[in-house]
Amino acid sequence: MTASALLVEKATKIFPGVKALANVDLELKSGEIHALLGENGAGKSTLIKIVTGVYRPDEGSVSVMGSSVDFSSPRDAFAAGIGVVHQERNLIPRYSVAENIMIEQLPTKWRLIDRGEMNRQAKHWLGALDLNIDPDVPVNRLSVAQMQLVEIARALSQQSRILLLDEPTASITENEIKVLFDLLRRLKGDGVAILFVSHKLEEVFELCDRVTILRDGRNACAGVPIEDLDKQRVVAHMVGREDALGDIGERHASIGKVMFELKGVSTAAGHQDIDLKVHKGEVVGLYGLVGAGRSELAKAVIGAERVTGGEVFVSGERATVRNVQDALRRWRIGYVSEDRKQEGLILLHSVAKNTAITVWHRLGKFLNLFSDRQERDAIISFVQKLDVRTPSLEQDVANLSGGNQQKVSVAKWLAAEAEILIVDEPTVGIDIRTKGYLHRLVWDLAEQGAAIVLITSDLAEMVLLADRVVVMRDFRIIGNLQNTYNYEQMSRRIMGCIHEADVVVGRADGAPALKGA
Amino acid sequence: MTWSHVSRYLIRAEWAPLAGITLFSIVALSLIAPAFLTEYNLFVMLRILSVTSVFALAQMVVIAVGQMNLAVGAIGGLVAILFGGMMEVYGVPVPLAMLIGAAVGILTGWLNGAIIAYSGINGFVVTLAMLSVYTGLNYGITESIPFYNMPQVLLDTYDGKIGPVPNILVIPLVAAALVGLFLFRTRAGRYILATGGNPSAAALSGISIRRSVILAHTVSGALAGFAGMVAVARLGTAEPTIGVDWLLPSFAAPVIGGAILSGGRVSVIGTMVAVVLIVLLENGLLLARTDPYYVQFFLGVLILAAVMFNRWRAVSAEKVTAARENAS
Repeated sequence: MTASALLVEKATKIFPGVKALANVDLELKSGEIHALLGENGAGKSTLIKIVTGVYRPDEGSVSVMGSSVDFSSPRDAFAAGIGVVHQERNLIPRYSVAENIMIEQLPTKWRLIDRGEMNRQAKHWLGALDLNIDPDVPVNRLSVAQMQLVEIARALSQQSRILLLDEPTASITENEIKVLFDLLRRLKGDGVAILFVSHKLEEVFELCDRVTILRDGRNACAGVPIEDLDKQRVVAHMVGREDALGDIGERHASIGKVMFELKGVSTAAGHQDIDLKVHKGEVVGLYGLVGAGRSELAKAVIGAERVTGGEVFVSGERATVRNVQDALRRWRIGYVSEDRKQEGLILLHSVAKNTAITVWHRLGKFLNLFSDRQERDAIISFVQKLDVRTPSLEQDVANLSGGNQQKVSVAKWLAAEAEILIVDEPTVGIDIRTKGYLHRLVWDLAEQGAAIVLITSDLAEMVLLADRVVVMRDFRIIGNLQNTYNYEQMSRRIMGCIHEADVVVGRADGAPALKGA
Repeated sequence: MTWSHVSRYLIRAEWAPLAGITLFSIVALSLIAPAFLTEYNLFVMLRILSVTSVFALAQMVVIAVGQMNLAVGAIGGLVAILFGGMMEVYGVPVPLAMLIGAAVGILTGWLNGAIIAYSGINGFVVTLAMLSVYTGLNYGITESIPFYNMPQVLLDTYDGKIGPVPNILVIPLVAAALVGLFLFRTRAGRYILATGGNPSAAALSGISIRRSVILAHTVSGALAGFAGMVAVARLGTAEPTIGVDWLLPSFAAPVIGGAILSGGRVSVIGTMVAVVLIVLLENGLLLARTDPYYVQFFLGVLILAAVMFNRWRAVSAEKVTAARENAS
């Protein structure tokens, strides 16, 4: 435990509109397992992308085994002995398991790929993970858990001295996790430096030696031995609760009649027996681990996915939502997507056009013609109300910061006069100040009479904002808890809910998980 | 709007550098080649412009929705020979023939869009196949023999003038104005641009992607068909080969004009200025007695240069924004 296998010093990375990393340090020693923690958007993935040559840091340096490096592509990082399992799937669906594992180093004979040798080597690495699958099967036939393990096998096959694992356990089961952990400990014994990124603190405390925590693109702590920390202190570092989830004023809840109700709803996405009630003025949190089916439920509600059974009521009236247009114009249901770049906004269009997209159908009389001025008049009050910081309404949203982009994606639903608003991960990748603003906004909207469904994976945010927390797992609702606003208590109860379902439902890593495949 | 407003708008417009180059070319050509500014030469260019501008707009509308229409030329050719054939063989009066021609353009465009929207097959592949289908119909009907006898009234109207102003000046101006109004000032047009800009976001905002795609292709078909009929009036014959050489310029003009091929951003003015530039290029090379076989070569160079320039501008704009963020 002497030399730094990997050393990142004062790394800074700026994207148009947001400073993703500022002066971040990270030191990885040979023969240790080092945890990298932080909330969504804290900069973990950006840091990993710098270390693996996907991004170049704007400032700061990276060195491997004591010598400074300047990666200009992922190939450089690979050549320097850095193996990585990215958070996103990076498999080629139609290629076989073996091809995916060996893709960086295909064995050849007479300059042609030697399939026998390739399969043999792949099988060896699958074996290291106790994984008994045919290396000749195309990966799109595997379950999500198996795919994740194949990615890990690929990283192992590179026999890197530095191994980065970004959320490797997100979709695999207890048994597989145990095998993986045993293997990581073995690699550590062999002197490999391992970086382990996870949201699951239990795993971190079980496995890791030291911890680096990022918060809003900065080091909340760097390389602290695990013995010096406990869960509470880690969470405090991650959310910086004293300043982050501090004062957003008081909640003046006045909860009215049932505005929105699902009775025994099932969907084509795989939901079963979903019962959900949201009252006027209420903020209902929808919590669940990744893959629990929360966003999919939201999409079914707004008509973007098919509802196959059960009944939907809006203000007591039986509602059939045919498509998104129907949801918006007839039933006044809006959905602020979790993925504002892919699903929420049209980045190369202006603030005005992005906000007005939901109201164009109301503009224009003769031949449906309308002017820029009419469009502006229709939306400017909402842009101002949300305090969108932009030089002008004509600015392309691509040039705004993440927080302001998020405000625009909320503004368009306000402009549409949505009365039922599903807000999906509203503060991912957003700086602390804007976060507080958006938190207050969720309450304000409820207090002005909207019924709000809040989806967030950030438990602290959930406990802060929701009046009631509905817990989902495997496309079912498994709990309905009144919020006590006590973080420790609520997190214990929510996790208890999910854990209990473990026993009752059993390990259902089958049907719903395959949806992603 | 004061003059300073106007001038600021002109300078900041995306197509400003392009317009500058075009103006420069006009000045340069008139200085170098005395034949350039003659009434005859200008009229020749305008005749080419009347066709090119319309099929460039036809392509542009489909680019706006994020797709390509490889069949613009095929639709133009099919409508052209039907238009000419109706008039020559059945003596259909010009206005009625135009209406029927327009209907065929709309129908073929709609068919392209409907196949793409309902099958989910890539628009490139569908319009490639339809290119062959429509061309095949064209050759089947004509057996590659043109219709030679076009009504005199058509040709007279095409080449006529009101005072000093040639009638055909109206074609690019009106077509551009209508397409501009449609894309930027109507719901349906905005839906098309939004769909091109980000289909998932558009769909989750209540826009029917299917409808946008079909509409864009329908409008494109209508314009392509109209371009075919203008070409008949220009040539004085309905030739089966009308449209075979449209593909390259139809993409070149919108792209040089600043369109993003993935959709969501097009410029009507930019496209029209680019059409003028392309026509100038051909005309200039002709006046300079360059081997006409090299026109394609120079057109290719022009496209590359324009696209690289646009790319350079986008990147440097991004750098400026990043630097500003950095400073703040």
